[in-house]
Amino acid sequence: MKSGLTQATGAVRRFLGTRANERLMLMVVGFAVGVCSGLAAVALNRSIITLTHWLEPLRGTWWAFVLPGCGATLSALFLEKLMREGAGHGVPEVIYSVTRRGGLLRLRTSFSRLVSSLLTIGSGGSAGPEAPIVASGASIGSNIGRFLGFNDRRRITLVGCGAAGAIAAVFNAPIAGIVFTVEVILDEWTAINIVPIAIAAVAGTEVSRLLQGNQIPFAHTAFSITMPDLIAAAGLAIACAAVSVGLSRLVRASHGFWAKVPAGIWWRAFLGGCVVGGIGTLVPSALGEGYDAVKEGIEGRFATGLLLVSVILVAKIVATATTLGSGGSGGIFAPALAVGSLLGLAFHRALITVWPSVGWVGEGCFALLGMAGLISGILQAPLTGLFLVIEITGGYEVILPLIIVSMVSSTLCHALEPASFYLKDLMAGGPLVRPGSDARILADLKVTELLERDCLVVPETMRLGELVEIVKKSHRNHFPVVEPGSDRLAGMVHLDDVRGYLFDTGLRNAVVVAEIMTANPAIVSPDTGLIEILALMDRTRSFSLPVVDNGRFLGMVSKGTVLDQYRKELIVQSSK
Amino acid sequence: MIGRLFHVFRNTPLGRETYLQSLYFCNQSGLSLKVYVPLETRFLMYLEHHVVQVDLDNSYLTSPENAQDHARDLADEAGVKIEFFEPTDYTASTLPEVSVNFQYMCCPRSISDLSSKIGLGYIGPRVRVIVHEARFPVLVPSPVFKEWHSLAVFFGGSANAFDALKHALALHRTTGMPLDLFTIEEGGRDQAHLENRLKDEGLAEEVHGCLRDWHVKKGGTLAKHLYDVPHDALAIVGAYGHGLIKELVFGSKMEAIQANLCNNLLIVGPRCHLPH
Repeated sequence: MKSGLTQATGAVRRFLGTRANERLMLMVVGFAVGVCSGLAAVALNRSIITLTHWLEPLRGTWWAFVLPGCGATLSALFLEKLMREGAGHGVPEVIYSVTRRGGLLRLRTSFSRLVSSLLTIGSGGSAGPEAPIVASGASIGSNIGRFLGFNDRRRITLVGCGAAGAIAAVFNAPIAGIVFTVEVILDEWTAINIVPIAIAAVAGTEVSRLLQGNQIPFAHTAFSITMPDLIAAAGLAIACAAVSVGLSRLVRASHGFWAKVPAGIWWRAFLGGCVVGGIGTLVPSALGEGYDAVKEGIEGRFATGLLLVSVILVAKIVATATTLGSGGSGGIFAPALAVGSLLGLAFHRALITVWPSVGWVGEGCFALLGMAGLISGILQAPLTGLFLVIEITGGYEVILPLIIVSMVSSTLCHALEPASFYLKDLMAGGPLVRPGSDARILADLKVTELLERDCLVVPETMRLGELVEIVKKSHRNHFPVVEPGSDRLAGMVHLDDVRGYLFDTGLRNAVVVAEIMTANPAIVSPDTGLIEILALMDRTRSFSLPVVDNGRFLGMVSKGTVLDQYRKELIVQSSK
Repeated sequence: MIGRLFHVFRNTPLGRETYLQSLYFCNQSGLSLKVYVPLETRFLMYLEHHVVQVDLDNSYLTSPENAQDHARDLADEAGVKIEFFEPTDYTASTLPEVSVNFQYMCCPRSISDLSSKIGLGYIGPRVRVIVHEARFPVLVPSPVFKEWHSLAVFFGGSANAFDALKHALALHRTTGMPLDLFTIEEGGRDQAHLENRLKDEGLAEEVHGCLRDWHVKKGGTLAKHLYDVPHDALAIVGAYGHGLIKELVFGSKMEAIQANLCNNLLIVGPRCHLPH
């Protein structure tokens, strides 16, 4: 009996120790993260609908324009004073944590952006809830991973699970969730992360379907695509790229403008919100997420007239830039979809005006193409735009023009603006280091880990003869020289510096180390990055460099040690 | 000792006291000092498995125009060379990150609360997280600057207590200060047992070489025994070495010590690196 129990225990332990179990564990936890993300998405979605419904009776009053201002102020106060976080949507923070910080995210991010974006969007601000939900889901994944003591690699996978579950739940679109996560958040597709992410996306979608019903967000309409439509799609892609870059730059310019307004952050948010409210009084479609306009556009029910669509398009762009730039909380996902659909409608109407005799497909199709073009352009993620539109409309008829628009738009945007909307701020702070890249591995190595402390340190007053005796017994080529009685670096002696004196015994008692050393050698500090150190080694053609902190010699760092540690880190980071 | 002590400078009289303590610690231990003069009330510390957002109270931003001068003048007076820390990395462009590439950190009992709230027995939640997660020991200074001339280690035989002892021995090697051990016999861990553990760890010879007194207590409360700790000793104590349940049921020794002892404390958390 006892023997059987022992055997069973041993089998369980062996199973727990296997890699298969590690994957199983990630799948189970990924499922839980997907469910949590789905719940967060549904909660925010229902809350926005409820708040919008409550405020509906006030929309008809003359002072309704202050509603977005009040919402934005409360949102800014909540984030700044209560949560002590900056405004914004949080996706750059998620990408930053994945690329630089092993997927570590603050716990407060799991709910702070949900509340702030509810206040902003529910009151009429032109922003989307998707990015805050992604930040929330990612933070849930990160903190569950931390609680379970997961390493960086697994924690990053759970961050991806949170993001996938969130997008999948918001749009009832699991494939879009997976593709968005892989393309935008993680930028890598490996066997170990794709399965848990897919499970999380399915879990998020199911939670959304259970609580909100299984329905595609936008009605499916059948379209018949002809050759002229495909050619026109290429033209729309160019327009989408131009508007994507324009919207992206306008949001940044707006941010810069509002940052210069000499007022507190909540005053700025209030003023910005009032401006948006004013725009909304004239053009109601510019308020909120803008999905009503998208629905009408796809179904071909949008108000007629090229000029009217163009005015609404411009109003939506300005309202979005003002909301996000003045301190409102929310993302650009939903506004990009709305702007894209409006652009598609305007483009279609322009085509009909110029070539009325061509049998163009219905304008709803161009609204779809515009949505895909804007998302692909702004996020520089063509597959996300493609799959999102296919899934949320439930039809594959427009796949060919969708591919054209998504690919051309993202390629042009990348040519005009190398960093996507989410990556712009991150790349301003330094090169983006994606997981598994050389730069990432080097960034994870610290000088203190590579420090060679067993150096033979010599004082600058030492006679050459004594140094030669040390050289004879040593295998090293570099000898740090310190000031007598201290550990302050005075210079370096290389074996080549001594070579000339080796056979001249007469000089051995006449020359001291200070006379042959290289004073003011190239040094690095414990805070210097490995990439910088390797560049310095290349520039100075040295194999090793002294590490000095506040004038004190700590040790040496050499190419050999860097390579050795690089190899070990590579094994850790690439273990699947 | 080789390494750096990190200090967040508060340009107030209270901040000066804690800063003087950091300077004294560096002077004694031979560490260099890295000083952060914050220009914003919040920053992030990415520890190995945790990200801590430190929300400083506004007193940290008092007179920023002369904060660096004050810090430099005090350091010159103490004969300690300092370096100022300038954040280069930001999370989402708004939150500066503080590098955790140092060997010790000086942290008052709370860094997020008004100084009027800080008292004996109160440890702020951020400081608690830092102690729990950091790879470096945390120096919790006494409210008013006072020199220390000996090392007092609370040694109950746990893994954390051994880590605390190793840090104490490293400090002894640099400062030459005598060492006192404080042990409360409990759970069958008497002095003979601990002696054997010291031998097993290869520390017995070094400990006895610098040991001034080994205070072994039986029964009674911890607070009662703390009176014997010299008032001018640096108290070195391991922290949070037990599991969550045990900490919840029996409480933390470190918490009890910091609530009763107004000495300077060096707290060695469960994830601390050992000294070189």
